[in-house]
Amino acid sequence: MTMLPYAVAAWLFGIGLYGIATSRNFIHLVGCLGICQSATYVLLLGLGYRWGSIAPIFYDHPPGTPAVDPVMQALVLTDIVVGATLTALLLVLTIQAYKRGGSLDPEKLRPMRAGGGSRRNQASSRADDGAGKTS
Amino acid sequence: MTVILPLLFLLTAISGTAVVLVRDPVRQVFAIAVNGLVLAILFDALQAPDVALSELTVGAAAVPLLFLVALMAVRTQPPEEKP
Repeated sequence: MTMLPYAVAAWLFGIGLYGIATSRNFIHLVGCLGICQSATYVLLLGLGYRWGSIAPIFYDHPPGTPAVDPVMQALVLTDIVVGATLTALLLVLTIQAYKRGGSLDPEKLRPMRAGGGSRRNQASSRADDGAGKTS
Repeated sequence: MTVILPLLFLLTAISGTAVVLVRDPVRQVFAIAVNGLVLAILFDALQAPDVALSELTVGAAAVPLLFLVALMAVRTQPPEEKP
């Protein structure tokens, strides 16, 4: 039983890495990265847990009652916030990569060069030409 | 009580595996929400109620909404040029 949190954390990290390595969709890949991060939540809370102890809130308990480690809970709380921010940032990058490259497949990803910007300028200039013809 | 905690750990492993193995991103959003809910229940069983509340808000509501917004943006906005 004492090895179960570590085993579950290792399994989650491994299956997340497998998903990242075999993913064919950037949005699916970001979800697999979230699974890798949930492995760290399970590992930290499993490290700080003690059997038969209370939550570290001493409002209705006398001080000195055995409680679980509150430092690990603070670390996990920070980790959750960082994970949500990382997910938002990677999803924005995914949308930009889809706009520039036209695909969500990591195999078809081309390097983002300045050429993409120049092509976009050409497209906007074509749009300006079209507007000039109609007016 | 000694049965609930290993059961929740196994449920966490199963739901995490489901998130990876569901390859369709639209269906994966539901798997991510279920995984966040299972993690919140596990954290509450591990005597971490503040982390459970945070995970319930972020993992079961905010992150699936972010994925839905990303899927909507990808579906409605065509790429700028075809390769």
